[in-house]
Amino acid sequence: MERRQQWLRGVLDLCVLGALTRGESYGYEIGQRLEAGGLGPIAGGTLYPALLRLERLGLVVADWRAGDGGPSRKYYRLSAEGKATLASAGADWAVFVGNVNAIMEVP
Amino acid sequence: MTVDDWLAAFAAELRRRRVDPAALVAEAATHLRDSGRAPLQVFGPPAAYAVTLVDSLRGATAELRRAPSGEPRLEATKIIKRYGRSTVLHGVDLRVHAGETVAIIGANGSGKSTLLRICAGLISPDSGHVRIRGTLGYCPQDGGTADFLTADEHFVLVGAGRGSSRTEARAQGRTAAAALDWPRPGTSGVARQLSGGTRQKLNLVLAGLGDPDVLLLDEPYQGFDNGSYLDFWQQVWRWRDAGKAVVVVTHRLGELDRADAVLDLTPGSPR
Repeated sequence: MERRQQWLRGVLDLCVLGALTRGESYGYEIGQRLEAGGLGPIAGGTLYPALLRLERLGLVVADWRAGDGGPSRKYYRLSAEGKATLASAGADWAVFVGNVNAIMEVP
Repeated sequence: MTVDDWLAAFAAELRRRRVDPAALVAEAATHLRDSGRAPLQVFGPPAAYAVTLVDSLRGATAELRRAPSGEPRLEATKIIKRYGRSTVLHGVDLRVHAGETVAIIGANGSGKSTLLRICAGLISPDSGHVRIRGTLGYCPQDGGTADFLTADEHFVLVGAGRGSSRTEARAQGRTAAAALDWPRPGTSGVARQLSGGTRQKLNLVLAGLGDPDVLLLDEPYQGFDNGSYLDFWQQVWRWRDAGKAVVVVTHRLGELDRADAVLDLTPGSPR
């Protein structure tokens, strides 16, 4: 489990960007999407710092809105730069995973 | 810890780090409501979570640092100081404006405290001159308190030297002490019974008594716990925002973004 956490640390920002390709969302729901995607529960203490970093880097943009009569929430969506980063870093990641798999393959 | 307690503590920790808590606290509160889980499970301890968020924000807070706009309050020009055959200060210039914080850094023995003592008029340079416009408060690295006087007696004594009445000085001292997480200095006994950290808080409070225009602080946070250390920087910023010129000698290089300008006395570094 500890190892899983470490893996996730390296790609959480990309996973968040990936989760946002399914449309804009707020923190709690982004966490739900990641969990539903098989990444396991993501603690808020990990998720929100990642969102802040992405926002600071301009990869996501956020605004506060009241959605569907609910309370006011901070909604995040991908910026054009975020989409581009996801595409290029996502491709790098796929190559990396391929190499890791190849090297771990028992001959 | 209830949700409200956690959120309040989280807000206080953000404020301590000079981050506006409103949006971050609101977002955390919504998340807790949505998830229905305990804040310690979701976010961990408030202080640690605040630190992580502030780290994530770094870069966004760089505009805290600003160019000087006030008039120069302290001008030290071409200061040279020798001790025996060794020259400690080789023609150092330091200029601090109203509303500006300058950090002085440098290796051990590079003359940080010497420069500050020269600026305070406690020792003379071998050449060069210091010009101060306004009144001066100085906080030494250690010493500076009288063992057998209480905190209140210190406030009154130093306040008297700066033209404050007993009541004024005591009130000002107690308020400043509370801001450094030292809530009841009146009941703490005489100075020699205080811990090293608390004695330094006393020193710092004394430096600020009577509202001086220039504050010279020589690593004043020795022995402070981390919370008090952050309170110390809050105090520095309050002084700065009130138009004081503040000089802080520090060895914590990780904290230099807290100052508006940095003077490095390490030999060979650009001046």
